[in-house]
Amino acid sequence: MSITTEKFSLLSGYRVLDLSSSMGSFCGKVLRDLGMDVIKIEPPEGDAGRLEPPFAKGHAHREGSLRFNYLNGGKKSVTLDITKESGRKIFLDLVGKSDIVLETFEPGHLAANSLGYDELLRKKNNLILISLTGFGQDGPYAKYKAPDIIGNAMGSLLYISGDPKMTPCNPPETQAYYYASLFACYATMLALWQREQRGIGAWIDASVQASMALHEHVAFNYAAEKRVMKRAGSQHQHNAPANLFQCKNGWIALFVTQTHWPLLLKVWDNHDADLDDPKWINSNTRRKEADYINAQVTSFTMRYTKEDLAELMQKHGIPGLPVNSPSDFMKDPHIQARGFFSNVTHPVLGTFAAPGGFFTMDGKRNAPAPAPLTGQHNQEILCGELGVDPRDLPALTAERII
Amino acid sequence: MEAANNILKGIRVLAFTTGYAGPYAGRLLANYGAEVIKIESKKGGLDTFRHYGQHKDIDEAPRFIECNLGVRSLAINLKHPTGAKLIRELAGKADAVLQNFRPRVLDKLGLGDDDLRKVNPKLVIVKLPGFGTEGPKSSYGTWGFNLTAFSGITYLWNHPEQDRPIGSQGVYPDHLGFVLGPTMLMAALLNSRRTGKGVTIDLAQIEGTAAVLGTTYLETSVNGDDPKPKGNHYALAAPHGVYRCQGEDRWCVISVRTEEEWKNFCRVIGRAELLSDPRFATLQARVQHRAELDAIVREWTEARPSEEIMNKCQSAGVPGSMVQTGADLLQDPQLRHRDFFSPFKESLIGPFEISRAGFKFKGMEEEPLKLPARFGADNEQILTELLGYDKATIEKWQQEEVLT
Repeated sequence: MSITTEKFSLLSGYRVLDLSSSMGSFCGKVLRDLGMDVIKIEPPEGDAGRLEPPFAKGHAHREGSLRFNYLNGGKKSVTLDITKESGRKIFLDLVGKSDIVLETFEPGHLAANSLGYDELLRKKNNLILISLTGFGQDGPYAKYKAPDIIGNAMGSLLYISGDPKMTPCNPPETQAYYYASLFACYATMLALWQREQRGIGAWIDASVQASMALHEHVAFNYAAEKRVMKRAGSQHQHNAPANLFQCKNGWIALFVTQTHWPLLLKVWDNHDADLDDPKWINSNTRRKEADYINAQVTSFTMRYTKEDLAELMQKHGIPGLPVNSPSDFMKDPHIQARGFFSNVTHPVLGTFAAPGGFFTMDGKRNAPAPAPLTGQHNQEILCGELGVDPRDLPALTAERII
Repeated sequence: MEAANNILKGIRVLAFTTGYAGPYAGRLLANYGAEVIKIESKKGGLDTFRHYGQHKDIDEAPRFIECNLGVRSLAINLKHPTGAKLIRELAGKADAVLQNFRPRVLDKLGLGDDDLRKVNPKLVIVKLPGFGTEGPKSSYGTWGFNLTAFSGITYLWNHPEQDRPIGSQGVYPDHLGFVLGPTMLMAALLNSRRTGKGVTIDLAQIEGTAAVLGTTYLETSVNGDDPKPKGNHYALAAPHGVYRCQGEDRWCVISVRTEEEWKNFCRVIGRAELLSDPRFATLQARVQHRAELDAIVREWTEARPSEEIMNKCQSAGVPGSMVQTGADLLQDPQLRHRDFFSPFKESLIGPFEISRAGFKFKGMEEEPLKLPARFGADNEQILTELLGYDKATIEKWQQEEVLT
């Protein structure tokens, strides 16, 4: 194994001002993982995301949110009320020294505070503004409120998720926000490339709904085949066995295509003679009779533990992996060997294992970093860079500017 | 007005991709102007999505078309020494390589990172293997479906009252991979322009997937907890969840977070008396009495179509929405307003419309997307214009099964 964990930067020298709520925090996090300098601009009382559960035990306060800590690791924090005139001025000075502004306010909010894109461009003529909202900057739903679950609902991932006998089920954490954040990151790379070529900035209008509406061929199935996808648990639409199957001590996810079916029969001692019928080689045939096939396969999978069966399947070239709990995943030898988790030390929460960067560059992985305390970098950035007199900080604090 | 579709004009990418994540990653580059040359072979190197469905012609697979829009096609047998040599020559004319083959498949053909960088030191290489190229399980066969299970997401994607995991039929890791792939490729290109050196990005799909479960892992590592499925429960809103509406399998979402939203919601459903009900006096109380509240909400939603519920709630400043189906997406006025679907009047599979992306650029146009090239359609042009080979040589290679 040659993966080392260290600090490196693919895109150093770019600065991001992250004004976003937790809708866009993941976008700022990925830009930080790419090596940009990301400064979180929080209201004087701290970002609302600091009060989102889950919290570290005994730390139900604004430095203790695990969600905030994960989504803001390695960012800097400056508290600033950009809706007050002197705060707005400080913010514009910062814009002049930045490349990217990331925001998730309701459309029109920045412009109403004289901080619209045109005003920002006057401070920095090639600025990239990322505006991420539930539905986009304009259009009939532009002002509609969009908590994460509404992003999944309006993009239709929710409709096809879960047990058909039960209510549609939302995935864990805030996947609509995360996924839209990733699209916003890709748009940012396009905008940076354009800036390098043509010297101009860009205003990115990213939508949570539109990001989710690409999922699982849902729209395309209807557009091309007039097929409305429905909830089906984990049963794949075109294939069987492609589902979760019970083992002695839990469950396994198996995905058996035309290529894998004969391999499966080979490792499956004493299988029913009927399964040797060549008609079953065709995936569509197996999918049509999924209930029968799944019942047969379950009689086989119940002979093993999920770990042993996954190993046996993989040894014979059949894609099978156990249904892990989060802690199973963290303990997995492969994940451990790749050094995906490493220790991070936070001034309040102490030392704990956190995910490092999700990619390696030439065999190096970025180490995780702690989230900033509220306003931790006020002095460094306001005084050190913008020339604010340190003696003015108490007054700015008293006026609730910072 | 400039078109966003031209932003990446001038970038050339060699794509060794199959399935969902890799090809779609290439499509997202091609749709913004990159020249993406997809390399396949009938000698055991065809994209698996060409076989998905009931069609005879490998160019007629709907899944393949969806995931490879705008991509060029080069048919080269990589197992033939001349085929591999041509790829090394092409690497000298390319900016980046995108691949999601199993680890070391290309290395064995003399097309490893070092082989290609010898020709072109600035070449960026992005790999999207399921388990990464290093580690004890790197040779494992992975699909998005079972990576979801491995990460912990499948286990958590469930209602708390279920006695078995349910998960979802989708392939979320592929979706994550196909956005992270082009993001990393562009980041690496921006980097190599500064440094003059290409880098190799290893983007293990399992780690891209784990990146969206980071908070949950911290619950384990910081608190020693073993997080359980929460279904549609959310600690900071009540009522919050998915509610049945009028019609066959129709649902809506309602999520009431603040006192103001609660007041407005009671007004919308005509139940102002709830505002003085001590069971619902604070968010904490509403969360505690969730079951009673849900019964009240259901009574209102079950008698109405979901669209009416959405418009009534949102006009009053309450977060509420339809749970849309695939058919709803195609008629969604907001997506239409954003020109989200790119229409194809004709294609090998008939007319269809297709999603563009999750973002737009203000003040830039969007041109219609393009179909994928037919298998091998660009052979002659690429080998002639980029590498300078003549017709006779190309014909000879066709007979020798180099170009197939």
